[in-house]
Amino acid sequence: MSFAFPDADDPVIVQGVTGRYGSLHAGLMRRYGTNVAAGVTPGRGGQSVEGVPVFDSVQDAVDKTGAKASVLFVPAPGLLSAAEEAVRAGVTLLVAITEHVPIRDTLKMIRLCEENGARVIGPNTPGIILPSRRLKLGIMPAPSFREGGVALFSRSGTLMYEVADTLTRSALGQHVALGVGGDPVNCTTLIECLDWAATLDEVKSVVVVGEIGGDAEERLAAHIVETSFPKPLVAYIAGRSAPKEKHMGHAGAIIYGEYGTAESKIAALRRAGAKVARTTLEIPALVSSAR
Amino acid sequence: MRLFEYQGKALFLKYGIPVPRSKLAYNGSQALSAVEELGLPAVIKAQVLSGGRGKAGGVVVVRTMEEAATETKRILGLIVDGELTKALLVEEESERVEEMYLSVSLDRGRREFVALASRSGGIEVESQAKATMLVQQIPLEGLTDAGASALGAKLGLSGRTSSEFRSILLSLERLAREEECELAEINPLAVRADGNLLALDAKVVLDDNALFRHPEFSQLPPEDPLEEEAAKFGFAFVRLDGDVAVVGNGAGLVLSTLDMVADTGGRAACFLDLGGGAQRERVEAALRLAGALPSATAILVNIFGGITRTTDVAEGLKDVHSEGPMPPVFARISGVDEEAARALLSSAGISVFRTAQEAVAAAVRGASR
Repeated sequence: MSFAFPDADDPVIVQGVTGRYGSLHAGLMRRYGTNVAAGVTPGRGGQSVEGVPVFDSVQDAVDKTGAKASVLFVPAPGLLSAAEEAVRAGVTLLVAITEHVPIRDTLKMIRLCEENGARVIGPNTPGIILPSRRLKLGIMPAPSFREGGVALFSRSGTLMYEVADTLTRSALGQHVALGVGGDPVNCTTLIECLDWAATLDEVKSVVVVGEIGGDAEERLAAHIVETSFPKPLVAYIAGRSAPKEKHMGHAGAIIYGEYGTAESKIAALRRAGAKVARTTLEIPALVSSAR
Repeated sequence: MRLFEYQGKALFLKYGIPVPRSKLAYNGSQALSAVEELGLPAVIKAQVLSGGRGKAGGVVVVRTMEEAATETKRILGLIVDGELTKALLVEEESERVEEMYLSVSLDRGRREFVALASRSGGIEVESQAKATMLVQQIPLEGLTDAGASALGAKLGLSGRTSSEFRSILLSLERLAREEECELAEINPLAVRADGNLLALDAKVVLDDNALFRHPEFSQLPPEDPLEEEAAKFGFAFVRLDGDVAVVGNGAGLVLSTLDMVADTGGRAACFLDLGGGAQRERVEAALRLAGALPSATAILVNIFGGITRTTDVAEGLKDVHSEGPMPPVFARISGVDEEAARALLSSAGISVFRTAQEAVAAAVRGASR
């Protein structure tokens, strides 16, 4: 599956647009410059939210606007069927903001996309932002992001904002910032993000924000070595002091025995040649020195 | 949500996985009549959710009624990793010639469920050993007969044990799928002299996010009143054993703040993530909760404002701060209107900082004062 993100003026739809978060962020995305052309909430067709026309079905919204991308604010119990509806209607990029999604629903979304050539970012993600295109498909605070040459990939939402803010204050803008999500399973993985970043001329360096739980960072480190990843990479891992066997906010942030510890991730990334920051404040200097 | 052993075994029975005869007891007399009914020798097992109960002395075999009385008294009230034992499972003792390991769990890297099995089960099997276990992938629709047989063959099982293993694995996988478990584990899975198998323990962890489809596991309210309060607001809250209460918006942000506290030589009293965004009411509730933690001698607030007006957050902190005595608050607030927010907080006597590092250093100093 490709990373075909919309261009500056391409239409985007919002599913769950009449909810509190859906309407708030439809407005904020639009104000940032993203072409939020339609919203979808079953039973609310014909209304309008933040100047965005609402349709009853994704098919109606797609027929009207030609959108290929959707941002989903649908509550967790309905996310899988909303994603299925979107893919059936021809949507190829789904950004699933929704938190608390059952693991098996996420696994079904992965297969849905594999079978239909679509891509899901998330779930439990702040979304993706490409400042040079004024494209914001998500809930991140726009003022923290500036156009530039860093690709920022994160498992955490607020830490992605914090790191972007720190980079921006150091005049290190971002070509893209993307949250893979805080769940145990991400539909789009850090490895896929890195492969994508390797192909982008605009990206001069990569920052990865990881956290305890699972082995996504260890796998990423192995991938860096296997593919001789060609760009400088700076990483930060949250949770060095976290206790074991406790969910630390994110469903995915949990240590079992030695599986999922920050030490293991930091060591693996260092061995792969990444510079690992001890605090988020150290990141800009490491990015500058790595260039 | 992790189930107690007795709850897990009730599920095992429902799915046709053989378990020893047992009875649940909440006090000494219930336990002793259970021992009389099941016969000696019997196994007395602490019903706790924490790992390591065996090493903590929470599982014993008793051979006389006197022993049963002494051990029952000892184990009821035994504290395992901070958790008080309130119930016992009294079980018939099961002779066995071998102990195996079998589980169905999510493999995060493969992004699929897998069955893991090993001929050497028992108390020493920890996650490190899982890397060396035999693995069978499980399709989304469920494990096939052939898949289950393949794992049994890889284990080198034959005869009666092999067919029993296949049937138990298929049942365990169906249980994990239908009840939406993150983990369904049998350790040990005992092999009897006659080749039959028996699940001696049950570790079942449900997917919390799927509980809406399984109302029968209606979640018991947490026993910690602060956890209950946190659950009411949807906060992620973990009690820790230090003195700096750490409050912030966003799991990663709070996690990174905990690390900074540790790096500065401090110890966190809690992890409290009030969630993305930072609405005033939620900030207020979080601060009250942190203030109610008996071990907290300082409260560290780390808010990345994002789209929220930080002056709203500051007003909230100010209100709670003026409600009555509470540990000193050290705040870092970043975002829209942060200058005005800092001025508001300073005027209310709350220590406010530009960077998280400064706030952390001050909070750690403040806590030990």
